[in-house]
Amino acid sequence: MLSPTNKKIQTNKNFHKLVSLRRRVSWSFLLVLLGSYLTYGLLSVYFPSFLARPVFSDGIVPVGIAMGYAILALTFILTLIYIWIANRYFEPLERKIIAELER
Amino acid sequence: MNISAIAMFFVFVIITLGITWWAAKHTKTRSDFYAAGRSIGGLQNGLAIAGDFMSAATFLGVTALVYSTGMDGMLFVIGGTLGWAVVLLLVAERLRNLGQYTFSDVVAFRLERKPVRIMSATGSLAVAIPYLLAQMVGAGALIQSLFHLPYNLAVVLVGVLMTLYVTFGGMLATTWIQTIKAVLLLTGGTIISVGVMAMLNFDFGALVSAAIDVHPQGPAIMAPGLLFTDPITIISIGLAFVFGTAGLPHVLMRFFTVPDARQARRSVAYAIGFIGYFQSLIFIIGLGAVVYVSNNPEFLTAGGGLIGGSNMAAIHLSKVIGGDLFLGFISAVAFATILAVVSGLTLSAAAAVSHDIYANVICDGDSDRKTELRISRITTVVIGLTTMALAILLEGENVAVLALIALAIAASVNFPVMFLSMYWSRFTTRGALAGGYSGLATALVLVLLGPTVWVSLLGFEKPVYPYAYPTLFAMLANLICAYWFSVSDKSQRALAEAESFAAQWIQSEIGPVQEK
Repeated sequence: MLSPTNKKIQTNKNFHKLVSLRRRVSWSFLLVLLGSYLTYGLLSVYFPSFLARPVFSDGIVPVGIAMGYAILALTFILTLIYIWIANRYFEPLERKIIAELER
Repeated sequence: MNISAIAMFFVFVIITLGITWWAAKHTKTRSDFYAAGRSIGGLQNGLAIAGDFMSAATFLGVTALVYSTGMDGMLFVIGGTLGWAVVLLLVAERLRNLGQYTFSDVVAFRLERKPVRIMSATGSLAVAIPYLLAQMVGAGALIQSLFHLPYNLAVVLVGVLMTLYVTFGGMLATTWIQTIKAVLLLTGGTIISVGVMAMLNFDFGALVSAAIDVHPQGPAIMAPGLLFTDPITIISIGLAFVFGTAGLPHVLMRFFTVPDARQARRSVAYAIGFIGYFQSLIFIIGLGAVVYVSNNPEFLTAGGGLIGGSNMAAIHLSKVIGGDLFLGFISAVAFATILAVVSGLTLSAAAAVSHDIYANVICDGDSDRKTELRISRITTVVIGLTTMALAILLEGENVAVLALIALAIAASVNFPVMFLSMYWSRFTTRGALAGGYSGLATALVLVLLGPTVWVSLLGFEKPVYPYAYPTLFAMLANLICAYWFSVSDKSQRALAEAESFAAQWIQSEIGPVQEK
């Protein structure tokens, strides 16, 4: 059984907004990151020669190293975006939900 | 004997003991002892989390891996960072919203307290104790070669200091020690990397081509496959990193030291920044060691190997970069790293015993504060003495298997159980127990039958289970059992548990709300 406060939250429109926004953001970011790691892993098993190729034909840095650093950079960028979304959308929604409980 | 190393190490010990003395005066309640009074800010907690992760195993071990196998080390560099994205996106905020001191609080939120606590405390101990032992044995060997102390003395020194920090200073002292060490390690790593790049005019391509020229494997180090070639191993390593990170009890405990979910979120974001930065340095340090250490007779044994083993690659490189003074600094930092990490592990093991088992199982959630704290302190001393004794017995043994067990159990016991309890409404007590214990059993049996124990330690000719890493199958065993035993559970208890999910879900999204 839900308490009266929890019932109020459960039917609150902003609560649903918050939940579905957070769900969409987290899972899509996660999918991108795990997908890129899986791609790297599969490439290193099945197409090692691709990862060993230089990125530029006149250079020496191989695709594998560049890809590794790119995934690190991507993780960092998605983290920043997540925090930005949290500050910009999650937190105001949370404050609204709490404020609407007072009424 | 490196005088500057010893001097810098002594300064570190004196400062940390001072912090412990200060923290002891501020550690009175349970929340002080387990969670530093929830007074830590996002930035500092981010540093402390990064510090927990940047152990000697990462700094020296992954550097050694890059040093000897080149590109295959990238798998660890990426995985080590990505695991934190899982913590940020799936775990951190909910954990803080639902729990008090340990991740078992979350698993036991709506499931039956006693059996579930016993299972998740077992999971915590099964991660913390082997990991602690692996660090202690590694520490003994490392300190032996850095400071020329006898192995036994080194182990006792680490054991006594960690016991002092945790017993008297609790989480507050542990967090500050971890923070200071994280700053020192990030500084040291930066100086080594900049030093390497400066010698090559900041040309990354020059580093790569110099490494290929010097390394005995030649161009093969810039291709995958020197170490890992089969897909099962690669997937298991990936899973262990990506989901094991979110199952490490000493790291999860840190999310309770901040005031709210917002600070928990910010602390992981800072941690990802520090860890990602550090991991990207590791690769440069590893290749730098190939170029400047592997062909320098000063660092080589008669047989052509590195003095002190390949784990010393980063340490030797620091001598090339900054002479004896900088070598001393990096040695002291490595020692500090070990001390800080073993302290965090000890605290999480003590909390599993005193908070999960004593307070919630034996006292039924109604324990006396003083007795509970006394029990956690006694546990700390017992753990300190036991690990010192075991580490002395295990001198010279291959302890890689212990670290392997720890991360595999974190990924195949703790994480799935915590994840399902947070996200799946039909997860029941029966499912949690079946999943947790089957994951634990599978992980242990596969490690036993795998190449590390069956062949290297027990001396059989061929492993029964051909892969070193058990994570893939152990995780699957956990998830399948958890699913099957949950959906087939038609008991009254299971119904009630499913019904109470809604309230847990709401609290996990916006935190505890005052009842009006």
